[in-house]
Amino acid sequence: MEQWTRREDRRLLTGRGRFVADIAVPGCLDAVFVRSRVGHGTLREVDCAAARAVPGVVGAWSAADLAELPAVPYTLLARLSTEEAVAGREWPALVKDRVRYAGEALAVVLGEDRYRAEDGAAEVSCQVDPLPAMVKPSAAVDDSVRLFDGLSNIAFQGEAGKPVEESVWREAAAVVEGRYRQQLLMPTPMECRTILAVPEGDRLTVWSGHQMPHRLRRELAALLGWSEDRVRVVVPDTGGAFGSKSAAFPEFVVVAFLAVKLGRPVRWIEDRLESMLVATRGRGQDQRVRLAADAEGRLLGYELKIDADVGAYPHLGAGLPMQTAWLATGPYTTPQVHATVRSVLTNTMMTYPYRGAGRPEATIALERAMDVMARQLRLDPAELRRRNFIPPESFPYRTPTGRCYDSGNYVAALDLALETLGYDKWRAEQARRRTDPAALPLGIGLSCYVERSGGEAGGLHEFGSVEVGEDGTITARCGAAPSGQGHETVFAALVARTLGVAEERVRLVEGDTDEQPEGLGSFASRSAQVVGALLQHVARRLVDEARERAARLWELPVDEVAWSNGLVHAAESGSAAIEVAELVKVTGPLRVADRFESGMAFPFGSHAVVAEVDPELGTVRLLRVVTVDDCGVVLNPVLVRGQAFGSAVQGIGQALYEGMTYDEDGVPMLASGLLDYLLPTFTEVPPIEVKDTCTPSPSTPLGAKGAGESGCIGTPAAIVNAVADALRIADPDLLQMPLTPDVVWRAARAPKLQEVR
Amino acid sequence: MKITLTVNGAAYPLDVEPRRILADVLREDCGLTGTHLGCEHGICGACTVLVDGEAVRACLMFAVQCDGSSVRTVEGLAAPDGEPHPLQRAFSAEHALQCGFCTPGFLMVAAGALEADPNIGDDPERVDGLVGSNICRCTGYEPIRRAILRAAREQQGDRDGVNR
Ligand code: FES
Ligand code: FES
Repeated sequence: MEQWTRREDRRLLTGRGRFVADIAVPGCLDAVFVRSRVGHGTLREVDCAAARAVPGVVGAWSAADLAELPAVPYTLLARLSTEEAVAGREWPALVKDRVRYAGEALAVVLGEDRYRAEDGAAEVSCQVDPLPAMVKPSAAVDDSVRLFDGLSNIAFQGEAGKPVEESVWREAAAVVEGRYRQQLLMPTPMECRTILAVPEGDRLTVWSGHQMPHRLRRELAALLGWSEDRVRVVVPDTGGAFGSKSAAFPEFVVVAFLAVKLGRPVRWIEDRLESMLVATRGRGQDQRVRLAADAEGRLLGYELKIDADVGAYPHLGAGLPMQTAWLATGPYTTPQVHATVRSVLTNTMMTYPYRGAGRPEATIALERAMDVMARQLRLDPAELRRRNFIPPESFPYRTPTGRCYDSGNYVAALDLALETLGYDKWRAEQARRRTDPAALPLGIGLSCYVERSGGEAGGLHEFGSVEVGEDGTITARCGAAPSGQGHETVFAALVARTLGVAEERVRLVEGDTDEQPEGLGSFASRSAQVVGALLQHVARRLVDEARERAARLWELPVDEVAWSNGLVHAAESGSAAIEVAELVKVTGPLRVADRFESGMAFPFGSHAVVAEVDPELGTVRLLRVVTVDDCGVVLNPVLVRGQAFGSAVQGIGQALYEGMTYDEDGVPMLASGLLDYLLPTFTEVPPIEVKDTCTPSPSTPLGAKGAGESGCIGTPAAIVNAVADALRIADPDLLQMPLTPDVVWRAARAPKLQEVR
Repeated sequence: MKITLTVNGAAYPLDVEPRRILADVLREDCGLTGTHLGCEHGICGACTVLVDGEAVRACLMFAVQCDGSSVRTVEGLAAPDGEPHPLQRAFSAEHALQCGFCTPGFLMVAAGALEADPNIGDDPERVDGLVGSNICRCTGYEPIRRAILRAAREQQGDRDGVNR
């Protein structure tokens, strides 16, 4: 194993990884979906007859052919949706009479292989009469066209905090306002969505690249009308997820249903163009903010109003913008904070968690407003933040928006970021350039964030077990499901360390509902924090159980029996000693299973960016990016660093490159695929310095907070602030992400800030 | 259509439809699933394999175009005795993979370049170009760049008899 840094590496580097598409099941059929070419319309007809005649096609169905096909489930988990939001709004797995987003599936074709299934799909004829497509909340919010007859397009409303008193706005020395668009993003794991459903006897085995196998089992069993034990969900290697692979999607419903109906294995391997059309999106908010401060720069009140585009059906993410509202306070002591949410149905694919999931939106709005405030008060932006940070001794800190922050040292993170960046040096360089007409303008942007990890109340626990075999191997099981985070390495090491045994002895089994009966999964940056704590807890209980057994064997009081490094021995005499594997042989199987609950944790950090802007070309060059993140106690620094770096690059993607655009029919303008939706490549990666501070979390035994989403949360606002700082335009709202050359070029021509009077 | 592909040194006599892309034939007809499909339109590079030593996007090539050619995939990267390729070791050492889905493509791009020009380690800009040719959504690329440089320099060191 010494050749490989992670256990996963051996197979992934030698071509022996096993992703869903790699699993060969004899007789497996491939599913291909026929999709709507318009974003909104009335379905008149779907004719599958010609498709059925295509050689190699096993069947083709529209909703009309499959009366028993169940609808797509909704989730109440983490309040992502609510009963009220979905009432009267069915999400059919195949369109019944109304198309509500481009690419919505009209029919499914099963073929002996994908080529044949695609041949068949090409023969399906459909007629959809277009209706006006609304792809932005502003277009849908007035209900002039309704997605569901008789129901408002506003599917959910919520608030956090109390309205800011009018006197605050009236009496404040400075009030700034802003309007920010959080564009729709595509999570874009390199492996698209996958499902393989194999019926065996009266059971169904489902293979899927998924973050929550037990949820998928529960949802599939429910829609088949089966007991949960008849469904087994297995998650093999998964090619990234970033929050987007945790639901039961319409295609999953169809595949599971048809596999059972036909009694044959069926798979759906989503392709990229399909994914770009119909995989869930992230972000999608129109925000209005107001921020008030006194003359010394002390924040007095903050108001955030969100109109969120949650997509065509409220089932997956109508409540997701509440994540933004609950974190609206950010890292500051602002006494009055009020955030309101309207979740608006639009003719787009559903908005769902994508790395950051609500927290980038909160951070970007507040941190952009902070820079505007600093300019208004003629204060250094770092100084304004410093004056308002919640001080380290004030934790736990209850925010006006209903969160209780566990621990933090925000000023330490900012100081480290400024020092690493060389803040003063860059300010001097900026001043120099402002006097040099030949120099390109340069800006410095900061962004300080606080986020939430672990999950929401009711979802902060996890299940797992540790077992010792007669051969001495130790097997740990848990309900998590990795998609690149290195669980097999990190958690095996954690269990080995807790037991004091060699790492090689410990094996981790996860992502299989037959192996681990209950579980929640991997989401909300919870694995280290929640699953790590669980495994440590279970391993400790295993030690206690072994000691008790040995004590009984030797007829000693338990406290005279000790465990060290896998050996159980009498503490005093030293004469009685037994290796735990021997103990198993003598006393029978040794396995401890439990559930363990952690508290919510609030990671935080400060990011700083230096950007150079070319006003003639509209290009932005990032000269330096510094990220300082604090995720409490780190289990594996190398892996956490990798997460921080990778997420910073995704954050750069949001700030500068990525974003959905739609044509008049509500169809994403992505005809050239990944040439139209620009993911950062290596050419776009600037020098990034990743640093951390460590403020342990008191709410989990390991002191670990969630890691991995920091860059998506912290980096974008720092970039936009840097560009605004470089251009010094009077109306920074002109800078809406992504900051494409077009956006920047136009902004560069807008009126400048009035210079110091 | 009857063709013969030589993949990682082994001959595969196949009967394939002309429209089948090389990646599908490698994955399904030859059972070599290490080659991944990330976009199927030539952008991401996850499907990269070597055809007669040249890196190609296996999603943009028909298998029949490779009749009689020699194809090398990630499964053929390690030595016959199983000893990992320097790139494989370097990727692990530099943490140049997280989910590993893009990894075979980056490995093959780098392997092709390294074989064509063993001195690539002296030319960081060329290495940058290699890294820039594929997409990875997890790592942020920097570790991949370091891994390729590390492997290249290690090979150079071995060749020059330098103990590193
Ligand atoms: S799959 Fe071939 S380039 Fe993406
Ligand atoms: S390691 Fe996941 S896409 Fe590169």
